[in-house]
Amino acid sequence: MQLSLYLSTRSSHRKMALAIIGSVLLVAIMLSLVTGAYPITASEVLGIFAHKLGMPVSHLAAEKMNVLWTIRLPRVLLAIVVGGSLAVAGVCLQGLFRNPLVEPAIIGVSSGSALFAVIIIVFSSSIGWQLQSFIGVFALPLSAFVGGLLNTILVYKLASKAGKTDIAILILAGVAMNALSGALIGLAIYFGDDNAIRNFTFWSLGSLGGASWTKLYIVGTLIIISSLIMLSFPRALNAFALGESEAFHMGIDVQKVKMTLLVFSALAVGAGVSVTGAIGFVGLVVPHLVRMVLGADHHTLLPASFLVGAILMLGSDILARVLVAPAELSVGIITALIGAPFFLYILLNFKSKRTI
Amino acid sequence: MIQTTALTYSIQHKAILEPINLTVHPGELLVVLGPNGAGKSTLLKLLTGETTACGGDLSINSLPLQTLTAVQMAMLRAVMPQHSQVSFSYTALEVIALGMLSHQKNSRSYELMEEVMGLTETREFAYRQMEELSGGEKQRVHLARVLLQIWEDKPNPRYLFLDEPTSSMDIAQQHQVLKLVQKVKHKNIGVLAIVHDLNLAAQYADKVLLLNKGRALHYGPRLEVMTSQKLTEVFDHPISVINHPLYAQDIIITSETRVQQQEKQFKYASIKTA
Repeated sequence: MQLSLYLSTRSSHRKMALAIIGSVLLVAIMLSLVTGAYPITASEVLGIFAHKLGMPVSHLAAEKMNVLWTIRLPRVLLAIVVGGSLAVAGVCLQGLFRNPLVEPAIIGVSSGSALFAVIIIVFSSSIGWQLQSFIGVFALPLSAFVGGLLNTILVYKLASKAGKTDIAILILAGVAMNALSGALIGLAIYFGDDNAIRNFTFWSLGSLGGASWTKLYIVGTLIIISSLIMLSFPRALNAFALGESEAFHMGIDVQKVKMTLLVFSALAVGAGVSVTGAIGFVGLVVPHLVRMVLGADHHTLLPASFLVGAILMLGSDILARVLVAPAELSVGIITALIGAPFFLYILLNFKSKRTI
Repeated sequence: MIQTTALTYSIQHKAILEPINLTVHPGELLVVLGPNGAGKSTLLKLLTGETTACGGDLSINSLPLQTLTAVQMAMLRAVMPQHSQVSFSYTALEVIALGMLSHQKNSRSYELMEEVMGLTETREFAYRQMEELSGGEKQRVHLARVLLQIWEDKPNPRYLFLDEPTSSMDIAQQHQVLKLVQKVKHKNIGVLAIVHDLNLAAQYADKVLLLNKGRALHYGPRLEVMTSQKLTEVFDHPISVINHPLYAQDIIITSETRVQQQEKQFKYASIKTA
């Protein structure tokens, strides 16, 4: 086949795939908006949106509008940015470490973030910070970011030698960091009062229940900026697949790319964790699935992973709300139920082929 | 031209490379030979900018290497590594296309890609996944990738570094690759290759650098450097260079000849009697 012809068909296939995934996301958004104790139909959802856009719409119950606008919509948007950014961070970390088993939660980035968030919450009152104040509102996601970044760099330094990552050390370092963070979170919560800390499971398993517009403005902005930056590195990540020195030979500023991606993946994960707690396995499952269907080229992998991550998070959140209604599960339980067997499946593959 | 003056490298005061002076001109193939641990790979890392030298000067087209950015270097030289494992499932085509990362926007990248894929005969498996390919096929894919990086005709010379490019290839493929290197030279490209096979080096090299224990023992035109005596000295093993009577070409024999064996036996015998 002619090269140019092949490349143009391939790029149109990829656009089509992205369009299909995008429309699935729209369906998931609608499904999430109509799911809940308070019945709101799809047409009512559209009506409320139309009303908010300034179009004249009749017969809108103020209560429904309230539920949709102040409770469900921020939750849906939070699910999209958190799910999408976790998946994109997964792609970037896997690309940097050159290993498909890397994921923010497994290597301990998420729990490191959660630890720092908990520390800020517990001790903010004793150092006189108000979490509602301007500084407080930023302090939480930023400290989570610092926790995540420290952890990422620590794990990277531990497991890497001459641009190659020892996966056994990497996973074990993650196990150690997760255990340590878990213990310290428990300890910190022991010192905190009931008002400051909602509960331990929230931080270790994660939940989207705390969504609100105020949190979304700050955290959403941080996440979207860092995701856009991560999305702008497809060429470098493709080059990294051959190795760090090869990437350098091809003209990639390896150190700069590495630092940028480590910082912004930690920022995205940290900001998300500060509102949702540590949600695991999204960054593992999504890149793998997308790679299986669309191939490893990061030009498609990055955006597609964002969309699929958002879909997975929305879907898991719907299940978390529906399964034990009127109570609610932590969304992290659902993602772990999907993700942990998937992780084992990848491990089996790893064992049989030694390459994935 | 790539030029080094008294280039050195050491780790914790232990000299890995003692002062090395060499030049690579466009249009010539410089082959680096030497036993394992001679410092060949270290030399390659210094020349490609991957590692910074501890002393001496290194310039490429008269520009000091340390003043160039990664992209500027990539536009001047391409490097084919010895082992390159691709993580994740990329197709051969996607790997070759990585060679255009440093191309400027207005380059005829896709035409160049067609051309190097023809030369390296990688078309037939271009759409297959890298992990399905044999060792030799993978090396050809990487060769296509590094050629693509510097294939565009430019007024300034470019350079190609090859680290044992033929290690996974059969005999026919080895010669194919080195014949391809001959073609590459005519595109205003200078080539430096680390080669293990002395006969390949004898057939294709223009200049040879003999390296042992971090020292450049002999450096110069192939005929001057690839002699029985010099090779034997560097490899610490009896090596004979013989001119083939019919093909007017040097043949290198790396096993001991009968005369050498007899000499040895004679020595032992004289030691015993003494």
